[in-house]
Amino acid sequence: MSAVTITINGQKVFARAGWTILRAAQAAGIDIPTLCHHPALAPIGACRVCLVEVAGQRTLQPACTFPVADRMEVQTESPKVVRARKFVLELIFSERNHFCMACEMSGGCELQDLGYRYGLDHWTYPTYTQRFPVDASPPHHLLDHNRCVLCRRCLRACAELVANHTLDLRLRGANTMLTADMDVPLGESTCVNCGTCVNVCPTGALIDKRSAFMARPADVERVATVCSQCSLGCGVNVVMHRGHVLRLESLWDAPVNGGLLCRTGRFEALADGRPRLLEPMLKEKGQHVPVSWEAALAAASQRLGATAPKRLGLFTTTRLTNEAMGLLHAIFVKHLKAAQRGASHGAAPGMAACRCGKLADIADSDLILLAGSDPARDQPVASFLIKRALDRGARLVTVENQPTELTAFAETILTPRQISQAVALARAAEKPVVIYGAGLTPAAATALRKLETKAVFIPLHPGVNTLTAETLALNGKLNAAACDTLFIAAGEENGTMEAVMQKAGPKAFVIVQASYGSALTDRADLVLPMATWLERSGTFTNTEGTIHRAHAALTPSGQSRPDWDILGRLAERLGLDAAIAKDAILACRV
Amino acid sequence: MGNVLIATDWLAACAGCHMSLLDLDERLVELLYHVTFTSSPVTDLKHPPESGVTVGILTGAISNTHNIEVARRMRSRCTYLIAVGDCATFGGIVAARNLVGTQAALTRAYLETESTVDGLIPDSPELGRPLDIVTGIGDVVKVDIFLPGCPPRPEDFHYVFAEVLSGRIPVVLPRENFRYD
Repeated sequence: MSAVTITINGQKVFARAGWTILRAAQAAGIDIPTLCHHPALAPIGACRVCLVEVAGQRTLQPACTFPVADRMEVQTESPKVVRARKFVLELIFSERNHFCMACEMSGGCELQDLGYRYGLDHWTYPTYTQRFPVDASPPHHLLDHNRCVLCRRCLRACAELVANHTLDLRLRGANTMLTADMDVPLGESTCVNCGTCVNVCPTGALIDKRSAFMARPADVERVATVCSQCSLGCGVNVVMHRGHVLRLESLWDAPVNGGLLCRTGRFEALADGRPRLLEPMLKEKGQHVPVSWEAALAAASQRLGATAPKRLGLFTTTRLTNEAMGLLHAIFVKHLKAAQRGASHGAAPGMAACRCGKLADIADSDLILLAGSDPARDQPVASFLIKRALDRGARLVTVENQPTELTAFAETILTPRQISQAVALARAAEKPVVIYGAGLTPAAATALRKLETKAVFIPLHPGVNTLTAETLALNGKLNAAACDTLFIAAGEENGTMEAVMQKAGPKAFVIVQASYGSALTDRADLVLPMATWLERSGTFTNTEGTIHRAHAALTPSGQSRPDWDILGRLAERLGLDAAIAKDAILACRV
Repeated sequence: MGNVLIATDWLAACAGCHMSLLDLDERLVELLYHVTFTSSPVTDLKHPPESGVTVGILTGAISNTHNIEVARRMRSRCTYLIAVGDCATFGGIVAARNLVGTQAALTRAYLETESTVDGLIPDSPELGRPLDIVTGIGDVVKVDIFLPGCPPRPEDFHYVFAEVLSGRIPVVLPRENFRYD
């Protein structure tokens, strides 16, 4: 790309051919106001707020779409431009209900900011009189058409980022309406409730139900952390007001997700109604009695130390941090040599000799071979990335026994028996990507290894920090019935944990480290209260094998403590050399 | 009492803007060295004197014919007219009536509310007739200063008074004194 020189407001600015005026101005630190523009979306020039005067052009031009040319002369705040911007803003303000005093977004609204910037203190056009519907049918967000400025950010995010194509426009001109599918309520549409549209909306048209009207946008603070709902490790902003979590937002510069989040990661991670465990409890005569941390850890270490390795069991959720898993490894594998070990999820089969890729490689591929994995269910953000590649022209080959949500998008649908056909298709492609999960059969895995020089392999491990659990040998063959003492690091997980507990003998001593009360903790002889994912810092190794750092947004509730804190104190009680744990933690940083 | 005369009145308003004006607190005492309030909705004298005032302050939207009368009278008797609050500048909360229509709003309010017994829509020749569309004051009379806000902060009133008393009429208020909510 060749360099060009343009003049903006009399100032010489260097740009590259192909850039827009807006980009050149931003690079030079010159502020041009925008409304429909969003850095993550392709510009369309819908709102005309960024209009600028370009010498030689008959009319004002939108800076967000107009390409630069050498020696172009641009005025961004000339009287003509300002008059046009005020005109545009007055039209937008007068078209629907843009009264700020009853709006959730007041104080953080881009339209309001523009009104202030251009001094819109009264209306030249008639007061609006039309009432538009409010669509509150989705479970976690709502669409108030009265606040919509038709900037199309939401529908572009739905199409370009999530590749879901639910949102679109219907009718024309002033009657234009945002619509889902063929004009059905959002809650009945193909919407996947990922909330990306809520995140990009410049006004209060798309808002989060849970946090609506709970705090002014100017009063909130944000803590960037890593989502702990699946193995992708998406970056997420925790939005808080005075120590209370309001909502979760996209982190646009996050390496894995680049602003995407799924329904679970954005909304459901906060909708946990289970009772929290707030203090350590020891069972005495069938009743749980609150005890101090000292007493609880003393009881745990005494019991663990007194159990024969063959009859000592460990079952862990994969949601723990690398630090906690390193300590579990030091305590149970190295020190106590527990024979019975298991994890809630097993990793996808290893493809040691193959080129291990990153999720970003999906974007460059021309053929995606999906085998033994259901990303739409287990790692939705990965399914968005796959669908984005398909929109761009890539082809999808699925190798599954059961159809998944992505099967509908596949060009070729195969079963594991037909794996050789899939391999042949990938061979014929230019840049094939193999995305595989724990459901891959050994025979299919062997067949896929034939592609090791050709394709990029991306594992999608089930669970969360599954790769570290696997690396640190925490996942083995657990026979709960053979355990005298069973340590269950349940964290925030319930289901699989309870299934394991039910297999434990009635006389087994069960120690449960968990965040929430459940049938599992009711059965436990010793309960160690654990902090939730929002309350602890630590690192995670994601499905690509990259390490992501989580930051605590809240202080732990009650006496609960972060996973690594509890295990660190337990290790100390057991007389462990801290160096073993440290080595284990460092070892999982592959 | 100072020698600059100020008259104030309300139209379709909630009194919040006048409350915010009173929230100037001790600054009000300072202000009274420079100005005299001739009339207001809460004083015995309701109407601006026929001899005229320098500054007229109106809050509230134009919602009926009486509002138009009050606005026109204030305009004809003051040199500078200040429209205060979102209702006076944009129509504000009162303009929510536009979404359902005047007749539907009257029917709901006077005949259909859950607590209504033997309801009757007021229809006296002494009362203003409700308009079809609620608007800001600027649609009826010329306004010199628009001070939006729901309500404007006491600091915003203070800024406007200070400017006017110094002989300056702000075209658009500075960002820190300009809020919609």
